[in-house]
Order: sequence, then structure tokens, then C-alpha cells
Amino acid sequence: MNTLKGFARGIWGGKLLLTYTVLLSLTLFILMPFMIIFLKSVGKDWFGKRWFPPTLTLEWYEWAIEIVHLPDVMKNTLIIAALAVGMSTVIGIFSVWAFGRRHLPGKEILMAIILLPRMIPTITYALGIARIFYGLDLVNTHLGVALAHVAVCAPYSILILSATFEALDERVLEASAVCGANALRTFFFVTLPLIMPGILSSMIFTFSTSYNEFTLTLMTYGPDTMTLPTRTYLAVGEGYWEVTSAMSVIMVIPSLLILLFIQRQVKPEKLVGGFKGV
Amino acid sequence: MSEWMIELHEVSKRYGDLIANDRLSLHVKKGELITLLGPSGCGKTTAMRCITGQHRPDEGRVFIGGNDVTDVPTHKRDLGMVFQNFALFPHMTVYDNVDFPLMIRGLPKEQRRALVADALRLIRMEGLEQRSPRQLSGGQQQRVGLARALVYRPKVLLLDEPLSNLDAKLREEMRFEIKEVVTKLEMTAVYVTHDQAEALALSDRVAVMKDGRIQQIGTPRDIYETPRTLFVADFIGLSDFIQGNVLAIENDRARISIDGLQLRVNRTSDLTVGQAVTLFVRPNNLELLDAGAETGENVFEASISKMTYLGDTIDYRVILPNRQELRVQTDGQRRFEPGSEVLVRFPPDRCHLIAESE
Repeated sequence: MNTLKGFARGIWGGKLLLTYTVLLSLTLFILMPFMIIFLKSVGKDWFGKRWFPPTLTLEWYEWAIEIVHLPDVMKNTLIIAALAVGMSTVIGIFSVWAFGRRHLPGKEILMAIILLPRMIPTITYALGIARIFYGLDLVNTHLGVALAHVAVCAPYSILILSATFEALDERVLEASAVCGANALRTFFFVTLPLIMPGILSSMIFTFSTSYNEFTLTLMTYGPDTMTLPTRTYLAVGEGYWEVTSAMSVIMVIPSLLILLFIQRQVKPEKLVGGFKGV
Repeated sequence: MSEWMIELHEVSKRYGDLIANDRLSLHVKKGELITLLGPSGCGKTTAMRCITGQHRPDEGRVFIGGNDVTDVPTHKRDLGMVFQNFALFPHMTVYDNVDFPLMIRGLPKEQRRALVADALRLIRMEGLEQRSPRQLSGGQQQRVGLARALVYRPKVLLLDEPLSNLDAKLREEMRFEIKEVVTKLEMTAVYVTHDQAEALALSDRVAVMKDGRIQQIGTPRDIYETPRTLFVADFIGLSDFIQGNVLAIENDRARISIDGLQLRVNRTSDLTVGQAVTLFVRPNNLELLDAGAETGENVFEASISKMTYLGDTIDYRVILPNRQELRVQTDGQRRFEPGSEVLVRFPPDRCHLIAESE
């Protein structure tokens, strides 16, 4: 009897072992590139087939900050992301309001066109934008790069916010009016708090989109609007492998902070709910 | 100030080709609870929305407290409203929900606290102030909705099918609760429903609506006992209808003929001899007698075709000599088996004539 139980436990244990092996391999597979970059960024004289760098150093981070002007690049990236997030969210709120509340002929076609930049290859889109921006002198301005980002950020805003607005109960707004609140007060006391989760997830998604955007930036940036992904890419070309690694590691920090915030503050199912009806 | 708290003057509202309200006039006294009763699509909700200002009537004027409010926006009309789906603010606590209209009105904090406490006591929700609406049952949510609508003592309270989302037992309890609260505060209230039992139990007056117009308005008793149109008679309670012609008019009684059978009944409206009329009687007002009993006025031979046991009553289908089927409900003291011969008596006071035929 005992042996039988032991045997059953063995199978169970084996099953569990298998599960963990698969899951750990997957995790390792996902984390490996990052781990290598991290080691590269803190290692010195690391050549050949060694598993671990012989000496550890923060030298490359100093290089990244001084030679590659990382603080400036980070500042540009954040300014552009903030502009893109702001514009996309405002565009999102107004277009969703128009789509939801007004009877518009050709609504589906308009919606499809707005979502188009997410569907066609970014490089195609980026080339067109570059052509236009050279004519308008928008290249090498924060606003220009941010505008290019809006093309891919705004569709996210619209998708997420349209789900939020759909879930908004019209009668709750009527209740507010009956209670004596005018349109402005209803918006601030009732509508805004109710759509806040949607606005928040829209901001998170547009931020990470703009922050990571490479192709569109590459076609519209200039010396004054260098962003992190572009600078990192160029640094590779210049041959600074270690410095590039250090930059990549620094670049991860804001993303990690956002991920932490999402897990703490925003319920993941709400973000997923934002994609309802895609 | 006029004696009417709410007045609708010839209000019309169309949606494309559909006429939701057709020159509708309604007058509600101060402190009165009036019910707009009718099937869906009869225009009762549209009429209410004209009072709240969510709709602007195409024609006609709306008065509240003697003032023309036709062009006054909803938030300035001093109303309270209870919604079918409760429509509580989901991001606020019970306390904040009830406090909201007071906060909007900018009342001092102390006064607000006292008023909210009063309102919550009135609906017996003390101790649940910090709950979120999501944590409440349907009945509790609707009580909070009622408190939110009453807390600032608006001129007019509107209730839009407030009990339809609750289960049957709770619905019946809350009926009396709403009636009690509204009466206690001497509120003027308009109650919209399609549930006739609710309308009869709650209202000072009932307005039965059809096709955007009021068919009849009166006390629940008027509406139930002396309906003026076939629609009202049919919509409220159970009815038997029999077609006939006026044979003669004798003071306050009329003699009518139904396929050769003669009946003597109360005369309520103006009739002329020879006119086609519909006789209407409630199934529980008809009397069943043993076949051998003495015949007299308004008594006819009939046979039982069906019997259904309903607990406190027994429901019979009875066939008259002219093949007309009647529904008769008795208290079950005397049982008749299907197929047996009986006598049906039409009490003259309980039969009413409606001067239209189907």
C-alpha cells in the first residue's frame, strides 16, 4: 500500500517537476538576453567562452552618462513621451466621445482609418511622415517626433477608451443632472472618476509605445531630439558594446517602474478589458 | 401659486414617425402620488422625461410649482428621481451618494451631515454609510436611490419603474415602504410603472395611458371598478366582455339584449336605445348557483367547461346558451365539476356598460 502511494506521489512529483522545468526554461529563455546585457554592462575584459566577467565595474555607466549624454537623451525621450501621451489621450477622449455619443455616418470607415497606422508596417508609415515633416520643418523638434508617435499611440488610446465609454452607464449621468449638477460638474464629479481607470491604462500603454518607439523616431529625429532607443542603436554602430549595454539597462528602469505600478494600482483584467471589441 | 404642482399642457413628443406623447395633459396636486400606468410604448416614460427635462416636448408646456420649466435644464428643476437600474454613483460610498445633491447645492457641512443621517434613518440604512453600492443588495441599493432623491426635499419626486429590477417578494414590501416614505414627507410624486398591482396599491390617482394619451385618470377604485374604456377594463384586472344592444332605458338602469338574453344593469354613461355596447364584469363578481335554484332577473342557465384550482379562488370557464364563454371566479365554498349545469347571476350593480364595441 505504501509503495503504491509512493509510486503515485512519484508520478505526481514527476509531473510537478516537468511543469517547473518547462516554466523555468521559458523564464530563462525570456530573461537570458537581458541577463547577458546586464553582465556585459558591469563586466570588464569579458572575452572568449567565460561564463562570468573577470572584473566588475561601473565604468560603462559613467561613459554612457558623460560621452553619450544619457541625461539629455533621457530628457528628450521623456518630453516626447509626455507630449505623445498627452496628445493621444486628448485625441482619444474626444474621438471616443464623438464615436459613442453622436450618430455619425461612415463611423466604421473612420474608425478603421484611425486604426490603420497600427496595421500597416511602421517603416512605410514613417517614410511618409518623414517626407511631410521635412516640408513642414517639424524634423528635429520634440513636437514633431511626438506627433509621429501619436500616429501609433492614438489608436491605443481610442481602443482602450472606447471600451471605457461603452461601459459608462448613461443613467448615472442623468442621475447626476437630476441631483442638480450641471454638465461641467457632472463631468468632474461623475464622468471623470468613472473613466479614470480607462484614461490611466490608455496613458500607460501610450507611454510605453512612445518610449519604445524606434522606427518612427529614426525617420524624424535630429541632434536635439535623440531618444534612448535611437541612441542605443547608434551606439552599437559606433562599436561601444559595453556602453550600449549600460544604456539598455538604464532604459529598462522606467519600464520596470510602470510594470510595478500596473501590478499594484491597476487591475490587469481592466487593461485586458480595454481591448474588448478589437 | 397654482394648486397644481406639476402641469403638462398638451405636450406632444415625436420620434420620427412615432408619436410618443400626443397632446398629453396631466395635472398633479401638491402632495399627491400619481401613477402613469400602461404597457411599454404607451408614452409614460416619455411623459416623465418631459417632466425631468431629459426631453424637450415638440409642442406644449411643462409647469412645475406654477413656473413654466419647458426650457429649464434638468439640473435647475429641483427634482428627485429614482431609477429602474438604481443608477447609484458606483465610485462613491452610500454616504457620498446621498450627500451628492447636498454637496452640489453647497450646503454647509454640518447641515449636510444631519440631512444625510435623517434620510438614511428614514430608509433604515444606518450603519451602512461606508459601504460601496456594489456591496448592497438590490433592495438596499434602491433604498439608497430613494434617499438620494429625497434628501434635499425636492419639489417633485419621480420614480421610473423603481421596483422592476427586484424580485417579487421584495417588490411587494418596497411598495409599502415607498408609499409610507412619500406620504410621510408629503412629497408630490409621479410613479411610472407597467405593473397594475403596484399602481393600485401605491397611488392616490392612476393615469392609464395608451398610444401617448391618457385613457382614464382617477383613484385606484375608480379605475378598477368603473373603467371607461375597454382598454382600461382589459388592462387592469380580469374582465369578462359581452357584446350587446341597448333595449330600453329605465331611470338609472338599462336593459340590454345579448343574443336574445335580456339583462338589466347599471347605466353609467349616456346611452341611446339600439346602441351597440359592451358589458363588462369582473369574474369574481359573477355568481354561480345550483341548476335547480329559482331563476330571476339576470340569471341564466350555463354549463361549466373547465375548472382551475388557484388556492384562494377557483377559476371556472362557463358557457352561456349563446355559446359565449365567461370566466367566473368564486371563493370555493361551493364546488362545481366540469360538465355540470349551473345558473350564472349577473349582479346589476357590478355590471358596467362601455359605449364602444370591440
